Amino acid sequence: MARPHIEPFCDRDVHFKNMTLPGFSPGMRYKMLSLDTDSGACSMTVQLDAGYRQPPGFSWAERELMIVEGELRVGDRTCRKGHYFYIPPGYAMPEIATSDGCLVLMMYNTSAPSHEEATEHHPLAQTALYHDVDSYMDIPWAPGNLVKPSVASGCMIKLLNYNPISYAMTFLYFMSPAFFQDNISYHDCAEESYHLWGTSWMMQFGNLPTGGYFWRPAYINHGAFASELGCIALGRVDSKLFNHFHYNPWTTPKENRDRAAARVYQRDPLLYRWMVSHSHNHPHGPEDFEQTMARRGVDNKGEARDVAKEGHRHEHWHGVHKHEDHDHGH
Amino acid sequence: MTFKTQSIEHPASPETQAWLDEEIAEQEERFNAIASHVDSLEPRRRQWYREFFDRINTLGFNADGDSKIPIALDDLPVQPEGRKDQVVWKHGADGD
Repeated sequence: MARPHIEPFCDRDVHFKNMTLPGFSPGMRYKMLSLDTDSGACSMTVQLDAGYRQPPGFSWAERELMIVEGELRVGDRTCRKGHYFYIPPGYAMPEIATSDGCLVLMMYNTSAPSHEEATEHHPLAQTALYHDVDSYMDIPWAPGNLVKPSVASGCMIKLLNYNPISYAMTFLYFMSPAFFQDNISYHDCAEESYHLWGTSWMMQFGNLPTGGYFWRPAYINHGAFASELGCIALGRVDSKLFNHFHYNPWTTPKENRDRAAARVYQRDPLLYRWMVSHSHNHPHGPEDFEQTMARRGVDNKGEARDVAKEGHRHEHWHGVHKHEDHDHGH
Repeated sequence: MTFKTQSIEHPASPETQAWLDEEIAEQEERFNAIASHVDSLEPRRRQWYREFFDRINTLGFNADGDSKIPIALDDLPVQPEGRKDQVVWKHGADGD
């Protein structure tokens, strides 16, 4: 069932394994960061040993590469630390080689790692989507307020890849020394991060050092955030990134998802009604835990505690609607 | 990352399937170790929550960027009765 929640994980805590899949040359070793158990899509830290050479070819999977340490020769070009590649499936890359060794992040997005020797692109390859860039030298840092509500100042980004259909993004980000942000966040998308350098802290998981990694499915609480000495990381999201901020550390992913839907209802009621009218017919929207959660204050206590005990509170206005465990109409 | 429109169908070879089976088993072990480690942080997390509540009550809650709103003590949340302090959720809203 997709990729599980892997957080926190540090690749420095495990050993490299030899890559044994067909098509890959000897001298490629890897540490698995996360793996989609259905598709085989995965993210890996990869060590290419000195003298490694891979003949020209393509992968069946969409993939992304980031050079973490060392130099990689890609055809006639020498690419250095910070160089990023987005490679569509079926896109034939030239020979890649390294004389002194190279540490690379490799992300196979749609299926298991594969390499088919070829000097021509596959007929189905969407070659125009290919791009690569020296992310350290050739892109300026931009404020992190790409999305609203936004992160606190002191967190900046470089956008490396963007999908105009799904709004999926790959980006570098840094937290400045003494960065902090006092809220709890969750998103409607999965989020992934690899710490290239430095340490950050999150209230649920503690410190994430250099080599630290997470793959976090949607709707899972994370934050507050801090970084004492700063950090730089590669981040990815698999669809639109929206920051749902709040301050209740005890909510569940299901409650967070309900709240996200409730906010669509509150913000776009006409759209919401149309979207749900043929299946999950909640004319009043799902529960927004911020409006019903138990709080310390006396005035809220009675009603809120009832909600906490029952697990949900539901007022039915009209119509037929379905819960997870029962259907009813009235 | 996953662009959803970007894949070329190709059947997995037996070698690839064997590799996947091994990696899936190792990932399961990795997940269990992480979940156990994160559970062990619970006492420290309790303290971190207390400090967080104190900061958002006094310095403010980051509502958007650097805009901070102090949260009144009465508005701070209460841990629901019987609910474990769980922060690792194997498949997010689709599981557990």
